[in-house]
Amino acid sequence: MTMKSDMRFLILASVAAFAMGMLTSYAASQTASNTLASPESFASIADTDARSAAIFTELGKVLTHPRCVNCHPAGDRPRQGDESRLHQPPVERGVDGHGAETMRCSICHQNANFEPGRVPGHPEWHLAPREMAWQDQTLAEICAQIKDPARNGGRKVEDLIHHIGTDTLVGWAWHPGFGRARAPGTQKEAGALVDAWVKTGTVCPPG
Amino acid sequence: MTTLAITINGRALHPTDVRDDLTMNDFLREYLGMTGTKFGCGAAQCLSCAVIVDNPDGTSYTSPTCIVSAASFDGKAIRTVEGHAKNGELSALQKAFIDHFAFQCGYCTAGFLNEAQVLLERLAKKPVARIELEKTIAEALDGHICRCTGYIKYHEAVRDVILADPKRYLV
Repeated sequence: MTMKSDMRFLILASVAAFAMGMLTSYAASQTASNTLASPESFASIADTDARSAAIFTELGKVLTHPRCVNCHPAGDRPRQGDESRLHQPPVERGVDGHGAETMRCSICHQNANFEPGRVPGHPEWHLAPREMAWQDQTLAEICAQIKDPARNGGRKVEDLIHHIGTDTLVGWAWHPGFGRARAPGTQKEAGALVDAWVKTGTVCPPG
Repeated sequence: MTTLAITINGRALHPTDVRDDLTMNDFLREYLGMTGTKFGCGAAQCLSCAVIVDNPDGTSYTSPTCIVSAASFDGKAIRTVEGHAKNGELSALQKAFIDHFAFQCGYCTAGFLNEAQVLLERLAKKPVARIELEKTIAEALDGHICRCTGYIKYHEAVRDVILADPKRYLV
């Protein structure tokens, strides 16, 4: 009996220690990845091109985050969750990115998050166009796309400051509701990075 | 709180204050006692909770009720399974479902019925060729889950209703 108790204690202690270790490392990684450096913190990079690319790389923490990528999918189906699993129920982008004719995004995704149903919401909920797919793209590829008016919705790079910095659908990424990780930093900080990236020449990081 | 004004099965409900976190499914089932609309998966994946939403332009669509707020239905007109029979007589679809023994436990039936009804109304406005019919029915009912595996029977029942009135639904 004593041996069994000792063994039980050892097992429980090991499990508890393992769990604590997991939680500690999880918290650390969350903190590290959940912030954005300010444009000023790149001032020490003397070369403007290198600074611009470094700023975009920092912005990339947002652009490659599941909150953004899930609605910039590679195919015609949105992703969901922090694991970017395929959207369930199965839905498709439809001709306008707002879903199929009989299954529009807005049927379930209302004007705001609805926590009892765990459903995110915004009045303009829809998928980014197919040419703006970020899923499975390198940061360099995303950068090239985001600068290309043929693939960025006809925007000038200056327009991206507003789009990323103040657009409310983009802003949902920082208020995603229950069970979803927020995009790193704040929307304002992300907008400041875009602004700094534009002012330094919109240089892309090496692919 | 939101003051919800809604028309259900053709009857305008007296405006009712509802909590913003109340789901439409709970509003129907718990507040109004309209338990024909089921609560299945709670994640809009089985669609047993689907009701018909009527647009002002005469078109309609189905919406799950388990994951959306009651408040979001403010100002809308909906139809539930309780509204299909008229003057005590079952609709053609309901009769066809019975004739085909399309359902066993019946939990998914209200959702299938509403979806099929929307399809019939859509086809009445925009008929399809006979050759397109099987695909059209399959696509319309796609997404509704039946654990008793009545899919084929539901499909056949809907097809029978359409083929019984080809001038209305087919080109």
